[in-house]
Amino acid sequence: MGSPRMTLQTQLVLRALLEDPAKQRYGLELCELAGLPSGTIYPILARLEQVGWVDSTWEDPAVHKEAGRPRRRFYQITKDGAEGARDALARVYRARKQPLPGWVARPVSDGGAS
Amino acid sequence: MSARRRLAPRVKTRPCAVPSLGSLLATVRTHHPDSDLSLLEQAHDEAALWHAGQTRRNGDPFLTHCVAVAAIVADLGMPPAVVCAALLHDIEDTSCPPGRVAERFGQETADLISTVRTTRLNEIPPSALNLGNARPRPLQPTREEAVLAIRLADRLHNMRTITFVAPARQHRVARETLELAAPLAEAAGLDEVGRELHDISSAVLRPTVSAWAVTPRLLTVLTLLLPAPQRARWQEEWHAELATLPTRRARTRFTARILLSTPRLTLTLRHPIRQERW
Repeated sequence: MGSPRMTLQTQLVLRALLEDPAKQRYGLELCELAGLPSGTIYPILARLEQVGWVDSTWEDPAVHKEAGRPRRRFYQITKDGAEGARDALARVYRARKQPLPGWVARPVSDGGAS
Repeated sequence: MSARRRLAPRVKTRPCAVPSLGSLLATVRTHHPDSDLSLLEQAHDEAALWHAGQTRRNGDPFLTHCVAVAAIVADLGMPPAVVCAALLHDIEDTSCPPGRVAERFGQETADLISTVRTTRLNEIPPSALNLGNARPRPLQPTREEAVLAIRLADRLHNMRTITFVAPARQHRVARETLELAAPLAEAAGLDEVGRELHDISSAVLRPTVSAWAVTPRLLTVLTLLLPAPQRARWQEEWHAELATLPTRRARTRFTARILLSTPRLTLTLRHPIRQERW
């Protein structure tokens, strides 16, 4: 299925999901965790779901009826997703370590390569 | 504004918020003209004595609740003994020594009060009771009927003043009322009580349209942009999120952000397999 485009927002969402991969979270909760405004997150979640990185399910009726609110949609990162996301995040991180084009002024990194 | 909710249409039996002892006695007298009402005055004084200093969540003295419950019970045509128990129905929560009620108001009243306290709504069999208008008056209720009348009156007054309770508790109580108390009242022939319980609980569980009208409708319209098979899911998901937002401002902000991101979501959903570039 490929992998999603790793925009900054996508990275934030993946990080939020990876914080506790076993936990199911709903949209607004993820917004808060990722520090993103509500709205941004839904297209990202839809994309992640398409590529099979995220699974979503409706809330258990017993829970939301007890709480007296409509049922929520819960998202959870899949096994594939967790692997893919860690991989992709690492790749992004490595990519960032590489020097930027010469016309961008860049402070010398503490890695020592100049 | 959002917290202010329109409750059920007012029923003719509640012209003033806090019925007085005088109006309570008058009601009992209309149903039971020959009865001795000094017992009720005593019960009122007793309740006033032990509930002194206690207040309800809306700031009223607690005694108003006792009188209000008794007034509802009296309205149903219950005899003075039951109205008396209604006045004293919460007295076991006070520092009133056990045995005092039995001593002053008789063992039967004391027993009725403890039964009211210990009976759970779901333990009352609905079919055995008939308190409706078909019943000949003056009413001589059985023990079960008296218990039911006091429990329902208690619940009804609590529901009428539920705005002062924390929202989570409001929901819980309203749900229980809708599932247990209202059907029980209707099964016992107390249509008006049942209807009011039903209306207030529904109003609590489903806040009024006015405060909510704009944003949910806009959300629904927004889902029309999405591919048809997916609309229902996103609509439900967004509405669920919207329902948990506490203020109108937060709801508006949420909707505005959904508005901004819907085109993107539409693109995402319409082009599922496109391999995206890095």
